[in-house]
Amino acid sequence: MGRLNGRPIVYMSSAMLETFNFRVIFEYLPLFWSCFLATLWLSAAGLLGSLLVGTLACGLRISRFKLLAWIAGVYIESIRSTPLLVQLFFFYFGLPSLGFRMSESATGILALTLNSGAYMAEIVRAGIQSISHGQVEAAVSSGLNYLQRMRHIILPQAIGVTLPPLLGQAIVLVKDSALLSLISLSELTRAGQIMTSERFMPAEGFLTSALFYLIIYYILKGLTHWSQKRLIYMQT
Amino acid sequence: MIEFRDVHKWFGELHVLKGINLKVDPAEVLVVCGPSGSGKSTLIRCINRLEPIQKGALIVDTMKVHESKTNMTRLRAEIGFVFQQFNLYPHMTALQNVTLAPMKVRKTAKKEAEDQGRYVLEKVGLGDKLHQYPAQLSGGQQQRVAIARGLCMRPKIMLFDEPTSALDPEMINEVLEVMRNLAREGMTMIVVTHEMGFAREVAHRVAFMDFGELMEIAPPREFFAHPKSERTKLFLSKILTH
Repeated sequence: MGRLNGRPIVYMSSAMLETFNFRVIFEYLPLFWSCFLATLWLSAAGLLGSLLVGTLACGLRISRFKLLAWIAGVYIESIRSTPLLVQLFFFYFGLPSLGFRMSESATGILALTLNSGAYMAEIVRAGIQSISHGQVEAAVSSGLNYLQRMRHIILPQAIGVTLPPLLGQAIVLVKDSALLSLISLSELTRAGQIMTSERFMPAEGFLTSALFYLIIYYILKGLTHWSQKRLIYMQT
Repeated sequence: MIEFRDVHKWFGELHVLKGINLKVDPAEVLVVCGPSGSGKSTLIRCINRLEPIQKGALIVDTMKVHESKTNMTRLRAEIGFVFQQFNLYPHMTALQNVTLAPMKVRKTAKKEAEDQGRYVLEKVGLGDKLHQYPAQLSGGQQQRVAIARGLCMRPKIMLFDEPTSALDPEMINEVLEVMRNLAREGMTMIVVTHEMGFAREVAHRVAFMDFGELMEIAPPREFFAHPKSERTKLFLSKILTH
């Protein structure tokens, strides 16, 4: 173990490397892989749900009906002003005590959806409001009707503007899904905990969890970068 | 072509148009000037009902704009509108900006719309900018695309709302030149502007608005040499000496 990538290792203490147990990591890889997939699907479900909830909440928030706008406002404010952990514990411990029972994964997805949905709502709202009213007037003036304006002027730009912050929120959501380990869902963080408690190897366990999160992060970051490149024409 | 009969307009409590009477003939170029807040922008925005009027009659190309059942989409296709802030669609190239409405509203085939778009953009001196996005163009170029966008609908009337006010001084002339050519070709135009040189040279009549009223309307020679009202005199002395 004297060389790594063909370069002598001089910065890392060899004592640390000798105690760092790669063999155990390989032994636990199947567990990490299945938990990685669990994190992926819990996050994907949460992302999809929060996009729907967020778009709906945004639509209500900017609607003309005061009551609906108020309800959406209360939802968004109360989610944004309280910790996700408290929300999660409320759904997991609180709801059953009120008579609502759900599986752990459903509880986890519900918490991620409602939490992230509040942030998504604000992102979508910013996207729609970023389109200048002048463009809409120009489109009205040339005889385009409401659906044509939505289809050709507003939506293409709103989606373009919101994509980078939406992907940013998706990254936050994936990292927040770590909290689901606290309601005994077998996801990436939980895998690290299992390895730690079974072999007492917290360094190996949590570092491996972190590496898998890093993979998801880079995929989403790549998408963000790609979506921003497509927006270059918007920069003045 | 355009006729205002005792037109009134309120924004809430604010009375912005106070009984406007005005007739614009086909192929006439009318320049409207006046201090800011006098209602001149509102006046032309009423013509294609970007602003609805509350009282009076407004007839454009035989259509009754004051009646809510009038099909405005059809009328708006006949009226080009050029804004102070250009209001181009930033996610579309110059050519896409000018072909969208012909294709969607007039149902022109794409090929034909693009041929016409190219021709009109060339006419406003932007033949080499067809595939540029608005952000890649200067203010003067953007405003010329905006004029081309209006012209591609083959409108009967062109309305200009302070088309040069947002431009740097060196770009004003390229836009005015396009408008001069348009007037020469016999387009019916109403132009809200402070460019008094343009008014003198191109307009058939010049109108002065103040406090929501048309104070004075006359051919440019008469308007500039012998303004009748005191307020017109004061206004002209302010903008002609600066």
